[in-house]
Amino acid sequence: MISEEQQDQAALYALRLLDADEHAAFESELRANTELRDLVRELREAAGDLALTTPSLLPPPSLKQRIMSGIERETERVVPMPTQRTPLGWVPWAIAAALAVFCGLLAFDRVRLERQLADIRAVDPLMQTTFFTLAPSAPAPADAKATVAWQPGRQSGVIRISNLPAPQAGKDYQLWAVDAEHKDPISAGIVRVDKNGVAQIRFKPVEKAEHVKAFAISLEREGGVPKKEGPILLVGTT
Amino acid sequence: MQLSQTYLSMAESSTAQQILDQEMIARISRRDQNAFSALYDRLSGPLYSLAMKMLGDAAEAQDALQDVFIQIWSRAGSYDAEQSSVFSWAVLLTRSRVIDRLRARGRRLRIVAGSTEDEEHGSATDASTVESAADTAEKSDEAARVRSVLTNLPSEQREAIEMAFFEHLTHHEIAARLGQPLGTIKARIRRGLLKLRERLHT
Repeated sequence: MISEEQQDQAALYALRLLDADEHAAFESELRANTELRDLVRELREAAGDLALTTPSLLPPPSLKQRIMSGIERETERVVPMPTQRTPLGWVPWAIAAALAVFCGLLAFDRVRLERQLADIRAVDPLMQTTFFTLAPSAPAPADAKATVAWQPGRQSGVIRISNLPAPQAGKDYQLWAVDAEHKDPISAGIVRVDKNGVAQIRFKPVEKAEHVKAFAISLEREGGVPKKEGPILLVGTT
Repeated sequence: MQLSQTYLSMAESSTAQQILDQEMIARISRRDQNAFSALYDRLSGPLYSLAMKMLGDAAEAQDALQDVFIQIWSRAGSYDAEQSSVFSWAVLLTRSRVIDRLRARGRRLRIVAGSTEDEEHGSATDASTVESAADTAEKSDEAARVRSVLTNLPSEQREAIEMAFFEHLTHHEIAARLGQPLGTIKARIRRGLLKLRERLHT
């Protein structure tokens, strides 16, 4: 139960009107109160919508060019690694190696699914399969990943997930198909991972999805929900 | 890869759209310039409009927008979907950058009362473009819907919210300006925001 005073503070926090002390105190309260966090998110969304009440203007096209040049410069400004050897000089190489292994595993997953579906294609050569690579998004672990092989003709697919820890009690992971013809994502069912954080499941969206642009996995109430409510943990396009 | 070029209509911003935005942010965090370009196309209009309303100066609004997008590029990895949608995150980022600018130049922002009325931006139109009729009907409809919801809030709630959001007046300053008790102003802001959210998203 959120008190009226907490609601007041949440509204001021969402609008960033609290002073430094109040802000710090409220953030501490937020960390311990899920319901209050949900309210703040709702109020932030309302605040975001206020931007739409302004008269519509577009920036000049030259601004985009300026910004794109800016990010290119930003990218080029990446600090080069020091050439001097240090006791921890191996760390960047280890990270690079780990990333290479991670990419290799992703590729391996993809190849494995492609092979699994090769048989299906052999039976039905007209059947097309589209692959989606799902990347983690906070609060999912950085090494969580998933690959979806989707067959629009059959309206079914296979998802393979790894490194996604089992959800807390009372929660389930739910798969969604984001389709261009539907305003809301279409549920493709609950996905349960094993104790190693792995799942490989066949799925079928509950509604016809002919123009799937992305797949996503969210954390939802146990048993799933008809319309997405919880945070997205993995999401990806083709 | 084909990126969605559909304009983001925010308040109606469907969950599906939010997922696509989130996916775009994830790609930007991996330094995908195509995703960044697509997100710019989708967000720059409303963010620029907000900066213009608060700053009242086209050159400054463009500088603020540049800061915002550079920040989106460099901080996409820190975006947390649990805290807000991509759109709200970008709006609040823009508002913060604009407030920084207002503070830096040491003057109060010029605000045109009543966000529900159309405004003229004088010389601003030299450098920016008032959106043409060619813009999607969906987008116009959505903006109209948000304006309508805001207009239909009790006037004292709308006034308090607009002063807080666009003028960045604190609740203390609003209370002093309107000659109302602090608790009353807090309640107006809270009730107004809650109603706005409820009416836009049900």
